[in-house]
Amino acid sequence: MAVIEVRDLRRTYRSRTGIRRTSVKDVEAVRGINFAVEKGELFGLLGPNGAGKTTTIKILITLLLPTSGTALVLGHDVVRETRAVRRRVGYVFGGDRGLYERLSARDNLRYFSELYGVPAREQSRRIGALIEQVGLAGRERELVEGYSRGMRQRLHIARGLLHDPDVLFLDEPTIGIDPVGARELRSTISQLIEAGKTVLLTTHYMFEADELCDRIAVIASGRIVAEGSPKELKSRVSDGHVLEVEVYGLDDRSVAAVRGVDGIRSVSVEARDQAQILAVRAASGAEVTQAVLRCLDGATVGRVATREPTLEDAYVELVGEGRS
Amino acid sequence: MTAVGLAQGRPGATSRPVNFLRIFFIGGLMSYRALFSWLRPSVLIPTFLISPIFQILLFVYLGRAAHLASDSFFVIGDAIQFAALPCLFAMGNTIADERQERTLSLVLATPAARLPLFLGRSLPVIANGFIVSVFALVVSALMFHITVPLAAVMPMGLAIVVCSLSCTGLGLVNAALGLRIRETAVTSNVILGLLMIFCGVNIPLGKLPQWMSATAAYLPLTHGIAAARRLAAGASASSVAGQLGAELLIGVGYAVIGLLLLRAFEYESRRRSTLDRT
Repeated sequence: MAVIEVRDLRRTYRSRTGIRRTSVKDVEAVRGINFAVEKGELFGLLGPNGAGKTTTIKILITLLLPTSGTALVLGHDVVRETRAVRRRVGYVFGGDRGLYERLSARDNLRYFSELYGVPAREQSRRIGALIEQVGLAGRERELVEGYSRGMRQRLHIARGLLHDPDVLFLDEPTIGIDPVGARELRSTISQLIEAGKTVLLTTHYMFEADELCDRIAVIASGRIVAEGSPKELKSRVSDGHVLEVEVYGLDDRSVAAVRGVDGIRSVSVEARDQAQILAVRAASGAEVTQAVLRCLDGATVGRVATREPTLEDAYVELVGEGRS
Repeated sequence: MTAVGLAQGRPGATSRPVNFLRIFFIGGLMSYRALFSWLRPSVLIPTFLISPIFQILLFVYLGRAAHLASDSFFVIGDAIQFAALPCLFAMGNTIADERQERTLSLVLATPAARLPLFLGRSLPVIANGFIVSVFALVVSALMFHITVPLAAVMPMGLAIVVCSLSCTGLGLVNAALGLRIRETAVTSNVILGLLMIFCGVNIPLGKLPQWMSATAAYLPLTHGIAAARRLAAGASASSVAGQLGAELLIGVGYAVIGLLLLRAFEYESRRRSTLDRT
């Protein structure tokens, strides 16, 4: 039996604007998604902002009701058996909010221990072990209001593990953390999997998903557009190559012209310092370099290179298809 | 972050009654410490200790100028009314501030029973209301040379406790509103103003329009303040038991309404996705 089972899950938000002339707009955040996560698996949900990742997690941790469809966590329905689900799942989100600023780290953990029903005789040992584990030992009696973003995120992780949950939902846990902290956090996530936990992770960072996830579902505009292991997803674009061009003064007209070149599957632009990096994913065997450079007439071209596709390229292509 | 071993083993489950009591007492006190910035002397002293005295001074001197009622009428009415200040604001903040800080969704994602979770938050608030009220009463009684019979001291203390409790019950309704509206401070101020006008704090109930005094019978403070005034005038504790009982009943009634609303609005927030909207 799958630990997480999602069937035809949909969630629509209704938003109202205006005071006198109210207009109502329905936004479909999740549009009939299906996936299953097995015990001990680290499953990644990848997608751009507003794709429906957080909505899906909130439904699975019982904070949101689905508009239709079903979701089971450890065999419990997330709508009807909320307490059974809440007892066995942990939830950690990224960012520096979600903590009691005027309490110490220890008291934050103590409060949630009470809410999760961790027995008094176990609380002290457990909190001490988690504080040690997340590297806050020595700082645990300081008020959280003085904590750095990384320290807060580590405290979030400790809070999510307090009741030793079977399933952990991590919603962009490394966002805003420095590279060293993020690497340590990834190491902790790997340890959780080794300890037999099931983890559902959302992230924007492709290398993170590539490094950690057993399987990934790419979600765009509320739909799952691809699902598979990082290797399988990469193989979808591995028959082609990526042309990367460093450009100064790239305009929208040039990008549109590049998109029109034969043999090009997708195009993305990333700002890097003063330059823009134009990444052109081309089909296998397509010679597009000269045609692309001709489209950049008027802009200053720097370094030009070709490389093998990465998971990020697969993601960009899949998300692009999902949106169109 | 050190790569030490993961915390071992699922914690044994606490029995339900013990868990209920721990959330009620320990959880309630910790959340009170966590949520209220007024626990700093720089906020606490001016808000809860100094400003009530100003209000009492204002109404005592107005009362003297208008020949409306005795000094003790205003001192008792205003001092007890100030119990409503922490009771309304603190309870409102228990939801609104948590929502603002995004801790509310984490709290509601726990399996904790909602009854001790929210009711436990009211216990320190009742104590807060009692202390504010007693301080204002004692200081203003000394300032205006008001004396009460020794036998009335304990029953008056009880009247203040009951008034704090009933205001906290109404505060729980205000807290529930925090799941639907952003600023419970606004509703707290409106309710505080209503209580001041309707409940015989500064205007004798007999001088209010009939509909206002009839409404007052169903609001916190009305019966408690009336009982405290009678005690100060020499009435026995047993003779005001009915009024204190009515005050208590009103408080419990509002608390029940508040808890039911919290339950309904929590469900509604899952349906409408309003928990993290700030």
